[in-house]
Amino acid sequence: MISPLALHRWAFIGLFLLLSMFIIFARILPLGPVSEGMPPPDTIVLLGFAWVLRRPDFVPVVLFAAILLVTDLLFLRPPGLATALAVIGLEWLRARAGLMRERGFIIEWATVASVLALMLLAERVVLALLFVPQDNPGLAVFALAVNILFYPFIAALSVWGFRVRRLAPGEHAAEARLV
Amino acid sequence: MAKNKRHGEDYVTPVRRILVGLLVFVLLAVFLVWRIDSPRVERFRAQIVDALVPNMEWALVPVTKAAGLIEGFQSYARLAEQNQELRRELQQMKAWREAALQLEQENATLLDLNNVRLDARLSYVTGVVLADSGSPFRQSVLLNVGARDGVVDGWAAMDGLGLVGRISGVGGQTARVILLTDSSSRIPVTVQPSGQTALLRGDNTGQPPLEFIENTEEVRPGDRVVSSGDGGLFPAGLLVGEVVRGPDRRLRVRLAADYGRLEFLRVLRSHQGERIEDAGALIVLNPVLAPVAEGENAGDISAQAVGEDGEAGQ
Repeated sequence: MISPLALHRWAFIGLFLLLSMFIIFARILPLGPVSEGMPPPDTIVLLGFAWVLRRPDFVPVVLFAAILLVTDLLFLRPPGLATALAVIGLEWLRARAGLMRERGFIIEWATVASVLALMLLAERVVLALLFVPQDNPGLAVFALAVNILFYPFIAALSVWGFRVRRLAPGEHAAEARLV
Repeated sequence: MAKNKRHGEDYVTPVRRILVGLLVFVLLAVFLVWRIDSPRVERFRAQIVDALVPNMEWALVPVTKAAGLIEGFQSYARLAEQNQELRRELQQMKAWREAALQLEQENATLLDLNNVRLDARLSYVTGVVLADSGSPFRQSVLLNVGARDGVVDGWAAMDGLGLVGRISGVGGQTARVILLTDSSSRIPVTVQPSGQTALLRGDNTGQPPLEFIENTEEVRPGDRVVSSGDGGLFPAGLLVGEVVRGPDRRLRVRLAADYGRLEFLRVLRSHQGERIEDAGALIVLNPVLAPVAEGENAGDISAQAVGEDGEAGQ
């Protein structure tokens, strides 16, 4: 028999997968030119970060890595590198999810922004060390800025849209008592 | 109970940490393998795309069509305006048509007189654009033709009018086209009236710049840019676009292909020409037979080729 708690968790893991698939699908729709305007944000990474800080059990690291690896392959990026860095970022944030709950959203935003910036820096350093041709740094910084500006929207959507919230102190016990 | 739980966590955390480390290691290994043996991983990438994207086609097509429908409704709003515009253009086109017909007849007679055999490379496979598949900085689209249809890496892709890009990555049923605007795209071109050769370098903008022009004074905005065929990459003489002066005073190319709506692309079959290495090899021992497109007779092809030549000649 499946406990309601486990069912709840699996439902959200499924929702994460579904949202990711939807994001990939929306990205590859052949609508309009790709070149103009601002680069689209890495929505899947942002979604993973926003969720893992609230409910670490909703973002299994293997699923996260698998989805990102598929996007790497699909979107013509060097496969594996960006995914590995995102996984490291995710785990680092997961370890600090407990600390974040006492602080406000601004601190959370700043933390996520610095993780994203470090990921970008590490990626560019590794690519440069291995002599992989890269695009100009201005565009990459622009993409980073877009990602950082987008994070509050993703977080708001997660909290109010999908009800991914931090557990109140007694809540877990209450949910567990249902079992 | 609480003690028991903590005991359990103490046991689980290090194992988890090792597993995550292993995962990161595997991902980095994938990246390194890609760096060392890129063609193999790219082939794997093409297979993954081949497995995923055609499965999504049932959903992609209706959404794309619906978006097209909305766009269509928006353009109905300014129907009268467009009508006027089209009438004006039609008048101009009629004049052009007369000229084209006369030229075509003249061309046909001249070809007949000279007994010219047209370049067999001008046969093509047409594919439908399945998906935009690029990150913000990689510009590429996926076509629904692949190795099944005989598509080979490196072939040129055009829309009806101009060059769009080159095939890079072929799966069984899909092929990836790297657009001319991609930052890794470099195409040797000729600027038409002056005959200056240059390199068209994609830089993620809609109008890629021309580089390595020998004599910049001879190139003026409005000149036609065609592929030069240098390096044996592309057939020569495919229309690329027209020279414009960018806002940064650089010479750029306004592409002839309609990048706003890439829907059907034709992939030109190109074949390796005979390479003449030294004087002794001037006589080609095994001449390559002219390839013929499937399901069409030779007359059709030459007619199409004449049409293409006419297009390119305007």
